[in-house]
Amino acid sequence: MIEIEGVGKSFGQTKVLDGVNLRVAPGEVVSILGASGSGKSTLIRCINGLEKLDNGSISIDGFRVDDPKQLQQARRCSGTVFQLFHLYPHMTALQNITLAPVEVLKVPRREAEDAARELLASVGLSERAEAYPAQLSGGQRQRVGICRALAMKPRYLLLDEVTSALDPEMTAEVLDILAKLAAAGTTMLFVTHEIDFARQISSRIVFLEQGRLLADLPTAEFFAADGGLAHPRIAQFLSKMKKDH
Amino acid sequence: MTFDPTLLAPYLPDLAAGARLTALACALALAGGLALGVIVALLRASAAPLTRRLADIYVDIFRNVPFIVQLFFLFYGLPELGIELNAFSTGVLALSLAGGAFTSDVIRSGILAIDPGVIEAAQVSGLSRRVIYQKIVLPIALRTSVRPLGSVFVNLILTSSILSAITLNELTGAAKIVAADTFAPFEVYALLLVAYVTLTYLVSLTAGALHRRLNRERALGAN
Amino acid sequence: MRYTDFTVHDILLLLQGAGVSVALFAATTAIGLMIGLTWAVLRYYRTPVLAPFFAAMAELLKNSPVLVQLFLVFFGLPVLLETDITPVQAAVITLSGNTAAFIYVIAVSAIESIGREQLETARVFGLSRWQILRKVVAPQAAAFGLGPLTGLLVNQLQVTSLISVIGVLDLTKVGAILNLRTLKPFIVWTVVGLLYYLMAKLIATTCARLETRLRAHSQWKGL
Repeated sequence: MIEIEGVGKSFGQTKVLDGVNLRVAPGEVVSILGASGSGKSTLIRCINGLEKLDNGSISIDGFRVDDPKQLQQARRCSGTVFQLFHLYPHMTALQNITLAPVEVLKVPRREAEDAARELLASVGLSERAEAYPAQLSGGQRQRVGICRALAMKPRYLLLDEVTSALDPEMTAEVLDILAKLAAAGTTMLFVTHEIDFARQISSRIVFLEQGRLLADLPTAEFFAADGGLAHPRIAQFLSKMKKDH
Repeated sequence: MTFDPTLLAPYLPDLAAGARLTALACALALAGGLALGVIVALLRASAAPLTRRLADIYVDIFRNVPFIVQLFFLFYGLPELGIELNAFSTGVLALSLAGGAFTSDVIRSGILAIDPGVIEAAQVSGLSRRVIYQKIVLPIALRTSVRPLGSVFVNLILTSSILSAITLNELTGAAKIVAADTFAPFEVYALLLVAYVTLTYLVSLTAGALHRRLNRERALGAN
Repeated sequence: MRYTDFTVHDILLLLQGAGVSVALFAATTAIGLMIGLTWAVLRYYRTPVLAPFFAAMAELLKNSPVLVQLFLVFFGLPVLLETDITPVQAAVITLSGNTAAFIYVIAVSAIESIGREQLETARVFGLSRWQILRKVVAPQAAAFGLGPLTGLLVNQLQVTSLISVIGVLDLTKVGAILNLRTLKPFIVWTVVGLLYYLMAKLIATTCARLETRLRAHSQWKGL
């Protein structure tokens, strides 16, 4: 269970997160929607400990993210996939995926490589195991990024706008894989602009506006006229996103 | 006006011996300077302000004091402390200390140029600071620093000529003796210029080739 | 502590030596600037024969040790030209040439940072190459070049320490004399090093101040 309680975060004078409460239970697929600057990415970065909280607390399976002593263990419960991939440029796809399992989980190299190849196969990149990130397309890099996160067998997968930097064709590739993961029961918390996709695979939708949680509803309710759409800000947002698509 | 390079012919073995000594001293100093530079670069990135300050001071001193003064300080000072090093060792030590200061600047730039997102990805994977430095930060920084490190090495080779001032018979020191023997200083020193230029050119070429080799598929660093 | 071997006179000696160092630094910097800029202008005009010749000379001077250049001029030239050269003359010739080579490189690089379109536009407006150089290229190149120039000046100050090897009574030579007399290397070389350090910092801050003045007067916010 990811427990986010009363989280507040400011950058200088700007309040980016304000009193956010959220719970994600194992098996759920939760999408975080909102306009740019609404605090979505910051929330993810608070969950994996990249940003420090000003108030409130976050814990993953009981490990407090805001406690430096527990942060490592909290991090082991989750895996993150980034908008800009952030693959290790000096390592092959295979090495990118095996690094953490070997160094952190102390998995023997052979085992880690076999597992990594399986992951690459599941995303359709078997022949690219020895390629370097510079030799891969954006979509391929993101797929490696997903494998890298999955290699640590995290209980929760955090995805931060993972298709925003990809063109439509590659976006479809990656969304495909995410849909498969969701269907297989992976707990996912993702920030996205892909409304249709969110609607398709999420069990729950959360809407952030200027750092505040405006809605936290099961998907169907969120898109219902008397549910999420009843909120003017949400309706405005959704119609704008539809227009841009 | 006479210019007769053939006078030098019988002395070429002596000059070659000097060149070998230069090469050896510089190779050792490069290794020492590189190791020192990495350590200092890491210290300069330390969380403790005192460590950072001390490391910065070390670099500042060695970059703003003439090498010959540093050399004399060690050559005449160390025996006072009871440390008896011969001219070669003192020279290598001095070159390493100076080289370390310049190398640490290069590596520090290399570290700062790393995409912070890559480090964040490593951090959230649960990798410890030590492993992140060992497997990610340093390998990337060193790969992108090959050309600037080549420049530092060239600098080291040129600076090594100053070791002749503490009676080391590296290339310049050997040349001084040959000049005295042949009474043909112009020919000797002109040859020496050509020798050093050739040596530094070869080093630059090698650095470029090494950079291309290491970064071929990785596309790290500007070409 | 009692430094019975040191006298007040020694302080005067050190200051005198520092004065010699500074004087030579200033003179050779001025001469080197003129020569180096001339070479750069020749290259700008693409003068046949001269431009490539000086480019080659600059490469030679940049990639060989200053000490060897000093020896070539001080020991070699007199034999070649069958004339006498004093240590100071040799120092001035060598350091000016060495500085010129580096100025040349900085100037060329600064000129080339200026976009082609500016020069082409100016030509279209009928300005002569000289007018373009004076009004368009020079001010911008000066702004670009000031940063690298600062580093060069600090370096060339330290290079002056090598003239002590051919007998010029500069700060380093005074240090060597005091060292020999008092046999207190730590004190002597620390003081000498400190003096060079302070002079280097003085140069660096002066150049920094010059840079801010230059930027304030021009209104190029995009530099």
